Parts: sequence; structure tokens; C-alpha cells
Amino acid sequence: MNKYGICFVLIAFLSASCSLTSEKPKVYTVEIKDMKFMPDDITVKQGDTVVWINRDMMAHDVTEEGEKRWTSSLIPPGSSWKKEITSTANYYCSIHVVMKGKIRVQ
Amino acid sequence: MKMIKMLASSSMITLALSVVFTATSLAQSPKLNDAEVASVAVTANQIDINYAAVAKIKSKNPDILKFAETMTNDHKAVIAQAVALVTKLKVTPKDNAVSKKLMADAEKTKKSLLSKSGKAFDRAYIDNEVAYHKAVISTVEGLLIPTAKNAELKALLEKVVPALKTHLSHAEMVQMNFK
Repeated sequence: MNKYGICFVLIAFLSASCSLTSEKPKVYTVEIKDMKFMPDDITVKQGDTVVWINRDMMAHDVTEEGEKRWTSSLIPPGSSWKKEITSTANYYCSIHVVMKGKIRVQ
Repeated sequence: MKMIKMLASSSMITLALSVVFTATSLAQSPKLNDAEVASVAVTANQIDINYAAVAKIKSKNPDILKFAETMTNDHKAVIAQAVALVTKLKVTPKDNAVSKKLMADAEKTKKSLLSKSGKAFDRAYIDNEVAYHKAVISTVEGLLIPTAKNAELKALLEKVVPALKTHLSHAEMVQMNFK
């Protein structure tokens, strides 16, 4: 095998290794039910997506609690909202301010 | 001034106690049929929408206004679900002693609220919301759920309880600002 052949095999091996080790982003679901976020504490990896589904009879929202960096706006009953997660956040429903949740990025 | 505050405070405690007493009395009321249970449920929700309407006219406090808006939207959502259910079940909500008592007491409370203004109104409104939600939770858990015969009606009432408890916690949080 000449040096070009060795390089080709090496590159093929490395790219195969990379595709084996890098995980695809996952999608997690948080139900809004009985005036609670379920689960109310979730651990994800950066780049994963969280989908909030409103199963209550009243509208809710999902709002970052500290500096209001992001919000879903109104999620009507039966609707959902999703967000790609980039950092750890405490969040709450700004309509029902006692409803709280947390996303941890590991 | 201190005396006026004391009197105002004691009148609100009396009002709160009367609401709780009403709930206790309601819990001891004779059993209702499903049409009457539905009527009490709709009336209890409508009463809180009416209180919120008063708050929207009388208050300028952002926390009070936001709370009142939430009460309006949430209790309307509950009424819509109740109406959809009774329509499906072909049940017509029927006035009864409990719903009439609730409405009569609410009219007195509404008059009392309308006689106040400024911070005194805000305090009276949120104190009443705390007392009213405690009373309604007690009535729903102690009277309506055990009395309802239809499984879907019972399930709807059970579904409403967490919302009422969340409203109570929210009201207590707002109330802390007026202590």
C-alpha cells in the first residue's frame, strides 16, 4: 500500500470513529399538566431540544426566569412549543407565577 | 388612622371568615344532583370572573391587574369546559340553594369591594381572593366531587382543583406585598 493508500485508510477510520462517538441531539418532552411542569427538572446536553406540551385546560407559557432571555409566548391548551437548549435555565409560567421548572445542561 | 386600618382589617377578616363559614356550611348541605353540581361549579367560576371585573375597574396595581386577568381567562376556560360537558351529557345546570347562596354572598362582597379604593381596595380584593379560593377548594373537594355521579363531571371537577390551588398560591404571593 502506498502512502496515499495509507492516508485514505486513516481518514476513513477517523471519520468513522467521529460518527460513532458524536451523538445526535435528542428531543425531550415536558408535559404541562395539572398546573405543573412534568418533569419539572430535566438534564439535557447542549443542542438538545425540549418540547413543552400543554395538556391543561388553560393557556400557559414557558419563560426564562432570571433575565427573561426567552419566552414561548402563550401556549394554548393542546398546543406545544419547542426550544433548542443552549444553557442551564430556571423557567416559570409568567401567567401562573408559582409554576416553575429547571433545565440543566450537562 | 390606625383605628381605621384596624377596623378595615377586622372587617376583611370577618368577610374572609364568612366565606370560609359559607364553605363549611356548603360542605354540610344536602346532596345535589349532577345538574345542580354543574350549576354550583359554573356559578363559583363566574363569581371570580365578576370579582376580577371589579378589580380591572378599580385597581391600578400591576400585580392585582395581572392576577385579575389570569382569573378571568382561567375561570372562563373552566366554564367553557363545563358547558361543553353538560351539552354533551344533555344536562342543563340547575339553580339550587347552594348556587343561590354563593351568588347572594358574592353580591355582598362585590358591594364591599366597590366601596373601597386605592391600596385599601387592592388589599381587600386580594384578601378576598385568598379566602374565596380556600372556600371554593373546600366546596369542590368536600361537596361537589363526592356528590357528582357522572364520571366525566367528577373528572372535570378533579381537574379543576390543581388550578384552584395554583390560584390560591398566586393570590397568597400577591397578598404578601400588601402586608
